[in-house]
Amino acid sequence: MQRFLAFALVLVPLAAHAQTPEALGWLRKMHDATQKLSYSGTFVYQNGGRSETSRITRYAEADIERLEVLDGVPREIIRTRDTVRCYLPGQRVVKVERRAGERAFPGLLPERITALARHYDIGLGETRRIAGLECQTVALTPRDDVRYGYKLCADTHSGMLLNAVTVDAAGAQVEQFMFTQLAIGGVTRDMVKPRHASAGWRIEDAAAAPARLAGWGLSSELPGFQKIIELKRRLGDSRSAGQVVYSDGLAAVSVFIESLEGRSDRVRTGLASMGAIHIYTREVANHVVTVVGEAPAASVQRIANAVEYRRPQQ
Amino acid sequence: MKDRLSELMDGELDDKSAAEVIDALVGRERDALETWRTYQLISDAMRQSRVLSSGFTARVSARLASEPTVLAPRALQAAPRRWAALSAAASLAAVALVGWLAFAPPPPAPAPVAQVPQVQPELKPTLVPLPSAANDYLLAHQGFSPRISLQGMAPYVRTVAEQTVEPRK
Repeated sequence: MQRFLAFALVLVPLAAHAQTPEALGWLRKMHDATQKLSYSGTFVYQNGGRSETSRITRYAEADIERLEVLDGVPREIIRTRDTVRCYLPGQRVVKVERRAGERAFPGLLPERITALARHYDIGLGETRRIAGLECQTVALTPRDDVRYGYKLCADTHSGMLLNAVTVDAAGAQVEQFMFTQLAIGGVTRDMVKPRHASAGWRIEDAAAAPARLAGWGLSSELPGFQKIIELKRRLGDSRSAGQVVYSDGLAAVSVFIESLEGRSDRVRTGLASMGAIHIYTREVANHVVTVVGEAPAASVQRIANAVEYRRPQQ
Repeated sequence: MKDRLSELMDGELDDKSAAEVIDALVGRERDALETWRTYQLISDAMRQSRVLSSGFTARVSARLASEPTVLAPRALQAAPRRWAALSAAASLAAVALVGWLAFAPPPPAPAPVAQVPQVQPELKPTLVPLPSAANDYLLAHQGFSPRISLQGMAPYVRTVAEQTVEPRK
């Protein structure tokens, strides 16, 4: 018996970090539930001392999703198959992002889930109860310090992700999303219609289109982060910008490049943070480079410092 | 001779003996002169005197040779010099020390300074408030986050939440 106990003690910590097919199976289950189910629920987003409640509704039949922030300034975002519209009633503005080519919203493809194991140890964790539902934790522990870790807890019946916690290298919580109430099914088309009549509002269309940003690149890439798309777009009212997105399959980092010519406001270079999101701004070759990503500050900064411009060969 | 040179340095010789030793030095007895210089070097090393430039002796000698001889030298100071007398054993130890210092490898060169700027900005970024256009960047970025396919639009709250945030720091 003692021998068995000793053996078990050795085995348990190993099992906690082992790459289990069950854990990968749970990630697929979360993915499928998000793509296939109709649901409506209330969740809390928390970062640092701030928390905010939102309502999310998905109508699977037409693949329409509506997100409404319930605290503070009213805001609403509606995604259809090919468009994301962000309604800002305070400013009477609708920001529109259209699907730009096949890879505009690449997401996490099911076949890519296995590839995540290259950068994360993926294992099963505890089972808990959240919003009255039993859920299974899947822990993604990064294999290096250039990305965050995640604790994802999925409803054992539906597979819906009920709680997503982002943790830093020290294991401290950086931010989390947690459902306080969730109902599967029973969603009608009316429930995903915009609440605001936006007639007469200013429309800011991103007009994003895949394009090559000649001369721009990284002198060195962040390990495991690959370029997934490169496009030209508009930001806000009229500013045109280049955007290059890098991802390790779960976290993504965008590099925005805008010309400094004709720009009146002062550019503040440095690092700004909001939960797991870091924004690093610097100037390169008479352009302002803004790197935005859900990765540790040092990683976002590393990508920003690697951005370089080389005059294209004629 | 060495003992007497040591005593001369320490001011322990009477006038007559001192004169004899000095005569020997002035007479350029090679060994005596060499020993004298070594003792002076040891003395400097132990008192951490400034090291004079090479050729100092030769230059002083040349200046002296070009100057008129002083006919009325000041009387030799009778009082012993203040610093502790060097025994022969101490001298030997000091010679060993000086020799060791002379043959010790040079101290390692400081790390190249050019590497420092590459690392420093990554360690200590300037903290700034969120850019005024943070919402635009976040909205543009969020659509490409693979997390959307694991939890739907929930991450988009990060896009718009910024409006209520006062700049921190």
